[in-house]
Order: sequence, then structure tokens, then C-alpha cells
Amino acid sequence: MSRSNTNPVSHPLLLLLVLFAHTAMLLLVMLSFGLTVEVLKLSCIVLISDFVGAIILQFVAQEACTVDTVLLLVLGMSTIYQSCFGGLAFAMKHFIFGIAAFLMCQISYVLVRNPYRAEKLKPLWYGCFVVLIGAIFFLTGSRGIWIDLGFITIQPSEFLKPVFVLICASSIRTQLKKSEFHGWHFVPDNLLLLFCTAVIAGLQWYSRDLGSLPTFAAAAGCALLLRFSYLREKISVRLMLVLGAGVVFVAVMAWKLAPSYVQDRLHTDIWSDMSGSGYQQVKALTAIAEGGWFGKGAGNGTLVNVAASRTDIVFSTISEEWGLFTAIMTVVLVLFLPAALLTVPPRSYYHSGLALGVAAMFMVQMTLNIFGSCNLIPFTGVTIPFISQGGSSMLSSGIMAGFLKAAQAPVLTGRTAAQLRKGGGA
Amino acid sequence: MPRIYPQEQQPRVIHVPPLDVSAPRSMRRAGKGTALLLAAFLVALVYLVYVLVTRSAFYMAKSGQTGYGKVTDRKGDVLFDGTKPMSEYEAGHFADVGNLIGDTSGQMSNTVVTKNIELLANYSFLYGKNSGTVTLQTTISHKATRACYNALGKKNGTAVAYNWKTGEMLVCMSKPCVDPALGYDNIESMPSGSLLCKAFSPTVPGSTQKVSTLIAAYEQNGVDAVNAMQFSCSGSWVNATGGKINCHNPYGHGTQSLNEAFANSCNPFFAQLVQSSQLPLSAVIETYTQMGYSVNGQKVAPLTMNGLTIPAASTTLTDSTEFETQWGCLGQGKTLVSPYQLMLWQGAIANASGSAVQPYILASHTDIENRVTQLGTTTRTPQLFTRAAAQGVHDVEVDNAKKHYSGSLGAYTCGVKSGTAQIRMDGKEFENSLLTGFCLDEDCPVAFCVVIEERTGADISNAQFAKVLLDALRSEEITKKPAAQTTPAQGN
Repeated sequence: MSRSNTNPVSHPLLLLLVLFAHTAMLLLVMLSFGLTVEVLKLSCIVLISDFVGAIILQFVAQEACTVDTVLLLVLGMSTIYQSCFGGLAFAMKHFIFGIAAFLMCQISYVLVRNPYRAEKLKPLWYGCFVVLIGAIFFLTGSRGIWIDLGFITIQPSEFLKPVFVLICASSIRTQLKKSEFHGWHFVPDNLLLLFCTAVIAGLQWYSRDLGSLPTFAAAAGCALLLRFSYLREKISVRLMLVLGAGVVFVAVMAWKLAPSYVQDRLHTDIWSDMSGSGYQQVKALTAIAEGGWFGKGAGNGTLVNVAASRTDIVFSTISEEWGLFTAIMTVVLVLFLPAALLTVPPRSYYHSGLALGVAAMFMVQMTLNIFGSCNLIPFTGVTIPFISQGGSSMLSSGIMAGFLKAAQAPVLTGRTAAQLRKGGGA
Repeated sequence: MPRIYPQEQQPRVIHVPPLDVSAPRSMRRAGKGTALLLAAFLVALVYLVYVLVTRSAFYMAKSGQTGYGKVTDRKGDVLFDGTKPMSEYEAGHFADVGNLIGDTSGQMSNTVVTKNIELLANYSFLYGKNSGTVTLQTTISHKATRACYNALGKKNGTAVAYNWKTGEMLVCMSKPCVDPALGYDNIESMPSGSLLCKAFSPTVPGSTQKVSTLIAAYEQNGVDAVNAMQFSCSGSWVNATGGKINCHNPYGHGTQSLNEAFANSCNPFFAQLVQSSQLPLSAVIETYTQMGYSVNGQKVAPLTMNGLTIPAASTTLTDSTEFETQWGCLGQGKTLVSPYQLMLWQGAIANASGSAVQPYILASHTDIENRVTQLGTTTRTPQLFTRAAAQGVHDVEVDNAKKHYSGSLGAYTCGVKSGTAQIRMDGKEFENSLLTGFCLDEDCPVAFCVVIEERTGADISNAQFAKVLLDALRSEEITKKPAAQTTPAQGN
């Protein structure tokens, strides 16, 4: 690989911006806690990580470096946040998972940067899917979602996300392979995708973890839309209406047929049950109000004493200590990951599907977390990618960031023009 | 002309194999999809910020994380103080407004404080909590409220009044009333109803209901035709199904015109009107429904005023020849109307339009930065009844007041209708005295309803009670708008 000369902002300059942002945050931490050993430890670790990350990225150079830079920035910020909640204590575990996520990003990038090879590996992705489904079904507790290994707990459904995105992505060649059954022409891969979606829905229903279902549904919906319309000059209005009506029908049916524990969440008035089912959201909203625009200062929050303050309601925890402005900016920064694809568009159909799947996953996940904790939609236990604490979430998000990087900096040398003419594009 | 690069400056050519012709559009669609998702998320994020910033005072107030400011009357007299113990005020200062204004103890739910708690939080999203004191000014006249409270003496009752031209709520008094300054240690021994503002509670309206029945008759037959009707009363009347309707005058009123029957509050006259073929029951139900009644269990949304909720009037009307239906149209039996709603209808009659000006109780809000927001605006209710019916009842009520209440109401130009509600509660039977009406004087444009519970002949009359109310309001110069409190409100 060679360095790009097409990027308007140079790689070193972006890394300097990362250093500047982290330094500014660490200065604010210093203002809150003073120049203590813990502050110095946190500062050294974050800034050294930035340097090391920058050096690594020099060796893993690519045509566009936005994803890597944003990832480096977000992971550093996340480490600072998690280390300061309720008092300064370096979040070692979170930091390690952050490094792991960064590495996973590079690994997954290498795996899928070549769309032809990634498409060829599709049987492997289906195999992973089967293994993960089996793990959820057989290894988690009674209708649970966690595998407890004693020293660590793993949430296999988190790893299902990147695998599902890989299944969602498809090449044009695959779409051209149609089969016939009693006069009905269909693409086998599309049927497989629908089948996998149904399996996930069924399993989540079984595991009583319907909170993540919208993220999978969004990725599947985007993938199907992209597949059904790939050859059309224009997307038919009739098709859009039919699909829209289908989505509304499914949503209404889901709303009506949702199990009682979901119905409870859909109809909870948190202000009439402030110490019961509305406890977390009431505390989360109050914390945002207490934080105001600019927060109470790093480490001065009290929301940290509430369960899931570092995961499901982390947006409120950041708002309380750093202010709503910073919390919003952090969310926008995470959005830069999928948004990077708008400036350097994918150059293969396969990568387009991959990028759209990740974008849908990230955005729906953030929507569920932020708007749920703020009581605008039912509250579900999902995480904000890279910001919330949780190893499984961090690693799976890292893998998906690698997909975005692959879409931004692909390697398209696997097939010759002649092969492409013969077998269709990627 | 093709540009020629020196060898070392030639642009590097990235090897990109040619793609399928359909691919670029499909790939652009992925980009558009991502952009659409991003745009939708950002719009939602903006909405989230708006909600959080505008509702944060509510979050702080509800969770008790901040101090509270003050509620004042239209002249700045403090009605609730969250900045210091209310026991520091003169004894009994809040005793007449406790169940209307309320406090933050959580003992009462339908009060000005509990329903507008976010406006009382000493908080702003920019400056944080307790960085100043907010003031919520009401349109209430504490002086007039206290005058009404005192006028009742040992009796219990309700007085509710508003400016039918502007919508400002002026008096909303309900006795017995809790005194928040005394706390709730003796809650068990408090008189029943102390924690409830009965102006908002439906009660048996007595003959004030005849106003609604008359409106139905006017709407069905026209004002002139109804005014020309005559029915006779011999002290009682037996309806088509054998039910006996008694008149309060056992000797009867003889043959009367509508004006006479209205003034006499003659039950047999109105019972015959309800049974007559000229007033089908369907027409009565239609008019009542339009006025806001829940007829025969029909679901009707409650009335609201700055968050306060007032249950809608209700009645049961099944057969116009049966006693229960006729009794309901006379304001007894199962018919229930709140004094607030009776007052509201009088507002629509006073302006002779059939649509009332919507009452409001919050005048302005002064935030912790001393910025004043006017909260009260003059709006109208939907058409409750026709303009012609409103004018007809207006004239009948004014005639009634002129002929029968000029002595007790003094020089006020009023229109009124009295009522006596027969109550049976906890095995005890008693009568409540009501007077509902309006004043047309320029300096006292007031629609009102007063109730004296278990009134006996020795007690203050409903008209005298109404006069106390009007006198107090006139002296308060109620036509002047409340001046917003930008400086700390003064208590006693």
C-alpha cells in the first residue's frame, strides 16, 4: 500500500488535532482534580497511546485516514470519560478493550479490504453466524444473553453484529446468481439474509433481549433495499410504498404483540414511578439538567452511583460531568465514522453495502441508547459504540470500524477487467 | 491541450478495475442512504437538545433537586413560598388558598404548584440550580378570596369567579381549606374536603341546571317560541309515567311564562318543557353534549386550566317522560357540574356569543434572570351553544336579577340564576345553595358561581355572598392587568 496524495488534510495534521483534543480534555481533568499522580498517569497513558497509535498508522497507511483518526480520538476521549466518572480512577479494563478495538479494526480491515476476497469468505461469515447463534442458544444462562467464563463475561450477541453486517453485504455477482423454484426466480443469498434475520429475531425474542433487534432490523432493511434496487435506474415509488407499508405493518404488529415486559417499557410513565421502573431514566434526565451546557466538572457527577451509568445511560453521565454540549459533540464525533464514507465514497458495491450496514447499526444503536435514556423512546440496554463500557461491545464496534475503513480504502486488485466483464462487478 | 508533467511530478494512477455499469448508481444509493440516516439522526439530536433544555426545569423540580420560587397573586401577595418556611408568614395567610395553590409536600395533586412545578424551579439550564428565585404570578385576587372565605363564617362553600372579557381567574376559593403553613401532621383530623378545591369538583347543580335546559329549548325552538310557552304549576306535577315532580312552592305558581318560571325556579314548568313534544330528548342530549356534558356515560375529556384538570359535567338522560331524566334536567339526581364549569357557561352567556373566553390562572413567570414571560393570553372556547340561545338566556337572567336580586346584589348590573341542590351523602340529607351569574358593569366584568353548603335560613344568602365577591373584586381594580413581579415578591 502506498500513502494517498488525495486527502486534503494530511495524516500528521489530523493526529495533531487528536493530541490537541486529548490535551485539552486532560487539562480540564487537571482543573478538577489538581495535578495528582492519577491525573499524570491518565495523561501519560492517553498521550502515549496517541503517539503509539500514530506510529502504527504510519505503517498501516491508506488512501484515507479519517476512520483511524476519529477512532483514535474517540477511544482516547472514552478512556478519559470512563476514568473520571464520579472520581478519578484510571479505567484500565476499558483502556485495554479500547486498544483491542483499535487492533480489531486493523484486523477486520485487512480481512475485508478486498471485496472479492471478502465475498469469497462468505461461507466463513455464515459459519461464524451459526457458531454465535449456537453459543447464544447453548452457552448463555437460562434465556440470557451473557456467557460467564468466571474471569470475564462475553455477550455473543454483540459479536453477531459485525458478522450480520458481513452477511448483509453482497456483490453484484451474487445478486446476478438467480435460482428458480416452480417459476419463481430468486437470489439464494437474499433468502439466506432473510432467514438469518428471522433467526436473530426469534433468538432475541427467546432471550428476552429485544432491545438490540432494531439494530439488526435496520441493517437488514438497508441491505435488502440496496439489493432489491441495485439494477434499477430509479427506485420505484410503488416499491417504496410497498416496503414502507410493510415496515409500518411489522412495527404495528410488533407493538401490539410485544410481550408483557416490553409492553411495560412502552407504557411506563417514569415520573409516576420514580423509584421503580423509571428510576434510571429519572436519574439520567436529572443528571443532564444538573450538568447544564457545560457540566459539573470531571469527577463531580453523582449519576455514577446508578446502575448502567457507564453503559446504557452513559450519555447522561457524560452530560452531567462534561455538559450537554460536550456529550452532543462526542456523539457527533462517533458519527464521523460512518460519515467519512460521504467524503470518500466506497468504490465497490460490496463495500457500499458493508458501510451502509455499519452506519445503520451505529446510528440505531446510538438512537436507542441516547433517546431511550432520555425517555423519548422505550429504554433498552444498548451501548454507544466506543463510548460505553463493555468489552464485547467495544470489540464488535472495532471490527465494524474496520469495515468502514475497508470501504474507504479498498484494495481492488483481486479481479481483472476481463474477469469482471465475465462475472459481474464486486 | 494535454498537460505535461515532469517525470517526478506525474500523478500516481490508482489501479481500479472497471465496474459493472449498474454499480455506480447502486453505490451512490448507499451513500444517499448513509446521508439520510445521518440527517435523520442529527435532526432527532436537535429535537433531543430542545426537549432537554426546555424540560430540564421540570426534571429538576420533579426530582426535588432544586429549590422553588414563589407564587403570588395579581398584586404580588405571596400565595406560596418555596424559599423559606411558610410558617414564617402571618397565621392563616395561606388558609384560604391552600387547596388551590398547593405546595411541594406531595399531599395534593391538582394544584397550581404541582401542575406547574417546572415553572417554580429555581433553575436554568445555563446558570444551574438555585442561582436566583423565580416568581409565578397568578391572576388570583388574594384579597377577594379572603373576603369570600371570611364571608362564609362557619359555613363551608365555594366561590369561583373570572373576568369574562379577558379570561383572568380572579377567585377560586373552597372551604374547608388546608393551611400549608401548618403542615400535615393533623391530616387525619382535617375536615373532609380540605385538600380539594371544590370549585373543580362536580356537584349537584340544583336549579342552575335550568340554564342548560333552557338553552336546549332555545336551540330547538327559537327564543321567541320558547318565551311564549306557558305551563301551569299547582305545587306538583305528575308526568306521563306517573312520576311526581314537586315544586318548592307547595301552593304552586299557577300559569307562568318562561321568564316567570325561570325566576320562580319552578320545577313543574321545566319538567313539562322537557316532556313536551317541542323539546325532543335527542335535542337536549345534543345541546348538553355541545356544552361539554358527558351524557349517559359518554367519554368526555376533562376541562383544563394551566394544567389544572376539571372533570366534565355529567348527567343521565334516557326517557323524557320518566322522572329520573326530568329530574336530571332540573339539576338534581345524577346530574353533576363543577362550579368552574357553571361559571364558564355564564361567561359565554355574559358576552351573549355562546363561546366563552377561556379562563387562565397564570399571569406571568419571572425566571431566575429576572426575565418576564407573559403566560396568560385571551383565547376562546369552542362554540358551546348558539349565539341566539346565549342572548336569550342572557336577557332572561338579567331580567331575573333586576326583578328579584336588586336588593341583595345592590347596584350591580347582573344576570343570575339560583339553585338549591338536594344532597344525600353518608346517610345524611342536606341542601346546598348556589348562585351562578355574571356582572355586566364595565369595572367588574365577572362571571361567577358561589355555593354555600348546608345553608339554613340564618346563614348568609347566596346573593349576599355573591355581593361580597363582587365588592371585593371591584375594589381590586380587576380591569387593570396584573403587573409582573420583577422584584422579590412581598409577603406579609
